[in-house]
Amino acid sequence: MIRFFDANKKLLAAAGIVIFLAIPLVVDNKLLIHLAILGMLYAIVASNWDLTLGYAGVFNFAHLAFFGIGAYTSGIITVKLGISPWLGIPCGAAAAALASIIVSIPAIRLRGIYVALLTFACSQLVLLLLLSQPLITGGQQGLTGVPQLQIGDYLFRESEFAHFYLVGALLLCSTIFLRRLVTSDFGLSLIALRDFEEYAVARGIPLARQRLLAFLYSSIFPGLAGGVYAHFLIVASPDIFGFSLVTLLLSMVLVGGVATIYGPVVIGVVMIFVSELMASSETMSELFGISSGPVRFMFVAVLIVLTMRFFPQGVWGLIKEYAARSRASNQAGDDTRT
Amino acid sequence: MTLEAIAAIIASGLVSGSLYALMASGLSLVWGTLRMFNFAHGVLVMIGAYSGWYISDRGGLAKVLQPLGKKITKNSEDWGLMGDILYPLGEWILSIKSGFGLGIGVPLAIVFCGIAGYVIYVLLVKPFVGKPNADLIVIITTIAGASFIQNGVQVIFGPRYKKLDRILEGRPLEVLDTAIGLQEVLIIVLTPVTLLLLHFFLKLSKLGLAIRAVAQNDDFARLVGINVNQIYPQTFVVSSMLAGLAGLMLGGLFFILPTMGSEPLLRAFVVVVFGGLGSLPGTIVGSYVIGLIEQSSAYVFSLYWAPVVLFATLILVLIFRPRGLMGGKES
Repeated sequence: MIRFFDANKKLLAAAGIVIFLAIPLVVDNKLLIHLAILGMLYAIVASNWDLTLGYAGVFNFAHLAFFGIGAYTSGIITVKLGISPWLGIPCGAAAAALASIIVSIPAIRLRGIYVALLTFACSQLVLLLLLSQPLITGGQQGLTGVPQLQIGDYLFRESEFAHFYLVGALLLCSTIFLRRLVTSDFGLSLIALRDFEEYAVARGIPLARQRLLAFLYSSIFPGLAGGVYAHFLIVASPDIFGFSLVTLLLSMVLVGGVATIYGPVVIGVVMIFVSELMASSETMSELFGISSGPVRFMFVAVLIVLTMRFFPQGVWGLIKEYAARSRASNQAGDDTRT
Repeated sequence: MTLEAIAAIIASGLVSGSLYALMASGLSLVWGTLRMFNFAHGVLVMIGAYSGWYISDRGGLAKVLQPLGKKITKNSEDWGLMGDILYPLGEWILSIKSGFGLGIGVPLAIVFCGIAGYVIYVLLVKPFVGKPNADLIVIITTIAGASFIQNGVQVIFGPRYKKLDRILEGRPLEVLDTAIGLQEVLIIVLTPVTLLLLHFFLKLSKLGLAIRAVAQNDDFARLVGINVNQIYPQTFVVSSMLAGLAGLMLGGLFFILPTMGSEPLLRAFVVVVFGGLGSLPGTIVGSYVIGLIEQSSAYVFSLYWAPVVLFATLILVLIFRPRGLMGGKES
């Protein structure tokens, strides 16, 4: 089976794309498509987080702020200045990129725990700044009335198709970008810095520059995703910065498997389905007689702790281990035959 | 700036400084011994406030017990001897209709926080002690734990705001023409006393000495016969109790919410970075400095810009003194 996968990678990718394109035509359920879009958006954010968290080994807790900045920037300039959302989204990405540079300048000078503290404080600061300007950002209620995307007269919210394909394309681009990045010399240098900093620096890898670039690269697609998110939901809300969403996205990266990119992408989508269906399911509220909204976050939290405790390599890591083992046993089989 | 304004700024700065000091000293203590950072510390503050409210207020435990009390007093005659024994219990339950009061609520809440801290240690920290990257893993697990507890409290207590009774009622104190509430005065006075007790505890008691020994060098602490694996949870419990105390104070000033701990936790982070992780004097000085900076910038600029000023200060400190103003060199 593994051999089949190895031999037909291109074919499988093509089949995957065809299946993906067919999904909205076959699935006639608005809620499921809606969840898939949300899941893919979060998968973009989570997989980009994997670049700093997994590959660079930097404890960057400001990552969701990049997503939020993308959403708010695009939302504000389209609402207040009346600019087209198609211009607003790249502006959001540019703002996110700028923010990533600002955050990384003090962060790359620090180590371990201090990075986590600084970036965490940064993301909270962005939130406080947003809340402090209710006239521009809508304050606690969030920015409402964000215009939806449209091409000509076609409004994206009339059906979920357009969003589905748009976000799918964005996820594909982001994943290809990330995979290319982490297998390039740049990605290898990040891994080298993470695994043996002194030696990597001694071999001439510029620590500060590589880490700054890692922050920068990891912020662009979340910035774009944030913009799309705001126009998709026609609202930009401060909940983006909440503890709950951080936990949810963290669980995508960790359960999916750090330093894999594919793991957070796949688990990101799965996790949204699981947690949203939990939140909306009748059985949950019947069983416990409580609203199940908070319960799903408790579930996610338990999942994180169990992952860290029992399989820290994550789901994708487990799959990779299994594949490597069966490849090795295939190899051994071939050797005995010849 | 008038004299009254300055007095008001100093008073409110001291109040927030006190709260930060209680929180940050616990964080700093745990960092010193375990080299780990407890992101569930804010949740412990919240637990302190909620458990204090639950025990002391009429809407909490007392309300839950009322039906039981009624049942006992009503049916005790049918239960024979058992009923005679239980009858006073039932009457007693009915007599505490208005809650157990703060006199019982405060100490019990602090004890409960200690227990909660111990549970957090056993479930979220202990399995990772001694593993590579343990400090970073524990950030993740304690964030997850915080999310679990926060949402759990939301489920149990619902979204309605709660408030602790003030410990001291009465006319506000007049200092330099500025009215300062008695609760605030209590916080300003009680915190240094608590911190002084903490200081003596660390300097004089056996456990305190052991905690400091582990903080300085855990290998040597092991060599002289200190059971390091026992010191870790004990440190955690002490730190959680301090957080609980902060929560009880906070609960008397503001509304009690599941998310009430997050904002003070953010400030406590700023404080420990400012004062240098693991340095208790640095942390305490840092707390008051941050409290005063925050309140004076709230006055000079506006309430909204105070966090910005705070953060600018933090970034400057991090750029020029990454180990904090009073923190030592990394060993």
